[in-house]
Amino acid sequence: MPMYTLDWFANFGFSVLRLSTPLIFAALAAVISRKAGMLNMALEGMMLASALAGVIISGLTGSIWIGLIGAVIVGVLAGAIIGFSNLTGKTDLYLTCIAFNLAATGGTVFVMYLLTGEKSTTSAAIKAFTVPSITIPLIDKIPLIGKMVSGHNLLTYLAFLSVYIVWFFLYKTRLGLRLRAVGENPKAAGSVGINVTRIGYISFLISGILCGLGGAFMSMGWVSFFMKNMTNGRGYIGLSAMNIAAGNPVGSALAAIFFGFSDAFATMIKGRGGNFPTEFIEMIPYIATIAALVVMNMIRMNQKRKIEKGLKQ
Amino acid sequence: MNKTRRIETTVELVRILVAIGIAYLIALIILYAISDDPIFIIRQFVLGPLSSQRRIGSIINLAIPFTFTGLCFCFMYAVNKFNLSGEGIFMFSGCIVTLTSIYLGKSGLPPVIMIPTLLIMGALTGFVISLIPAYLDAKLNANIVVVSLMLNSILVFLSIWILKYGMRDPSIGSLGSLPIPETARFASIFGKFKIQAGIFIAIIAVIVVAIIFYKMVFGYKMRVVGSNPSFAKASGINMLGTIILAQLIGGSLAGIGGACEILGNYDRFKWSASTQHGFDGLMVAVLARRNPILVPITSLLLAYIRIGADVVNSKGDIPIEFITVIQGIVILLVAAEEFMGGFKKRLIYKAAKDDLKSDKEIVVQEILADDESKTEARKESME
Repeated sequence: MPMYTLDWFANFGFSVLRLSTPLIFAALAAVISRKAGMLNMALEGMMLASALAGVIISGLTGSIWIGLIGAVIVGVLAGAIIGFSNLTGKTDLYLTCIAFNLAATGGTVFVMYLLTGEKSTTSAAIKAFTVPSITIPLIDKIPLIGKMVSGHNLLTYLAFLSVYIVWFFLYKTRLGLRLRAVGENPKAAGSVGINVTRIGYISFLISGILCGLGGAFMSMGWVSFFMKNMTNGRGYIGLSAMNIAAGNPVGSALAAIFFGFSDAFATMIKGRGGNFPTEFIEMIPYIATIAALVVMNMIRMNQKRKIEKGLKQ
Repeated sequence: MNKTRRIETTVELVRILVAIGIAYLIALIILYAISDDPIFIIRQFVLGPLSSQRRIGSIINLAIPFTFTGLCFCFMYAVNKFNLSGEGIFMFSGCIVTLTSIYLGKSGLPPVIMIPTLLIMGALTGFVISLIPAYLDAKLNANIVVVSLMLNSILVFLSIWILKYGMRDPSIGSLGSLPIPETARFASIFGKFKIQAGIFIAIIAVIVVAIIFYKMVFGYKMRVVGSNPSFAKASGINMLGTIILAQLIGGSLAGIGGACEILGNYDRFKWSASTQHGFDGLMVAVLARRNPILVPITSLLLAYIRIGADVVNSKGDIPIEFITVIQGIVILLVAAEEFMGGFKKRLIYKAAKDDLKSDKEIVVQEILADDESKTEARKESME
């Protein structure tokens, strides 16, 4: 049994925030799509493509920042492909996303093999670059919280900042208002002169930026290389986080942090060895999502029933 | 009216062929571009899968699970529900069937009883699992895609847990179950082709599903509910019952598929990740345009391309993964309504114009004839 000292708690808190980072990005990307009225299942593939792009581009150019921008650009491109297929090609969105995820899982391995000759990871072939960590001056002196909050990767702080940015964008800007209008009722939005297709494209592109950052964190922050299927369901967990909060950016981020917590918990128990079935901890995000959906819809149904009752009287 | 439908069917067929053609062409171009010896590799890709009895056998063996999951998605599609639980069911049913077979193996049941029991077990697993998203969707209006996706992940972890703590064989190094008893395994038939006996179950499944779809009242109800819900409601069809039952049948088929796969091709259960058979089945159903009769054909096609990639993988230095990119492109092209949509519209427009022209001619003739008769009548009256 390890000692549950202050240090231990600080370390655990630190890893919770670290593991939450990609989930927050994914959840926010899902929020943007959801507010535009779409369920973006392709987050997984978009993040995976960006993760590979970040490693390759930074390796080729020798610059972290160009690599980071490259990852974001690839994320945006992925969003554009899905948008084109769904909005211009009129392909069913679910099918588009499944096809994209399929293509990204195999395609990243294929590209990695072509460039490095490796099939599982780029760690040996490409020089590693990581986005720097930042120590926050005064805060890192505070005993427990300092160690938890300070010294994270730049992208972790960006993830938390993004929560505010996405909230501000959705609720305080004209474009955000239009995006939500399209999501609520595309026909009504179209009738007052909003270009529904263009808003759809914009939502996919913003989703792409966020996925690009999330993917970059996976391969240039969390670890310093690309690994086959390294997102490992994080896109879907981000999607669940959004679903639990019904598309609210702050709620989605909180749900993402909660899932980061369960992830850190599972990792810790695995690390301690022993015979505890971690499978059930790993199931938490998925079970929580289904439970939240059930509860939310039950409440909604009840309200509807009450309204109907009231109308009859 | 019928003309339009005929044009739609023709265009549909041409579209699928063009999509597959484009995807195949892209595959060939990729192979050509990255290989040192492109001619050899392309020949391997195209002819390799057909070059030996063993390989033809493995195409058919691979097509069997695709057929089951493809049929599963035909049902989901028929009632217009995007229930993706087939993916998780396939793996979980394999797990449950293995567990059951290990327990039943001790009692020494003969294969005649053993195998049907296990198949029923697989079907039952699928039935129960697919009930969850179907019920939550029907009763609570919970998004069926999200629920079934989450369910798939849960089933993966559940299968691994059962494997680790319920039936792990400690004597082998890697993670695997205890061996499946001989009495439960399918024989491989047709000598050198080494086809697993599950093929008979797959053929029966296709025939039964085709009968359900096109010869039974339930199939008709199902298709009406899927294509025109308002009409179905107005004509008094039990909507909820039909939608749920269709998904349950689909889930059972995926379950039988998982059972056949594990009993036909494996000696132990050792899947530690989702098998992707569900999503492959989705592609098969999309390619078959939701028509169960076409499912075996598209399954064979997909299996042929997969084995081709396998052959290339073993012969040269080309990674098999590129095939999933091709698969993605095929799904997008076939599912894109606008792909060759202009072509379809033009054809329909032209047919309608022709109709209009001939209609006009008839009308003109009628008017002329009418005029003539009138003038004649007038003449007569004059006289």
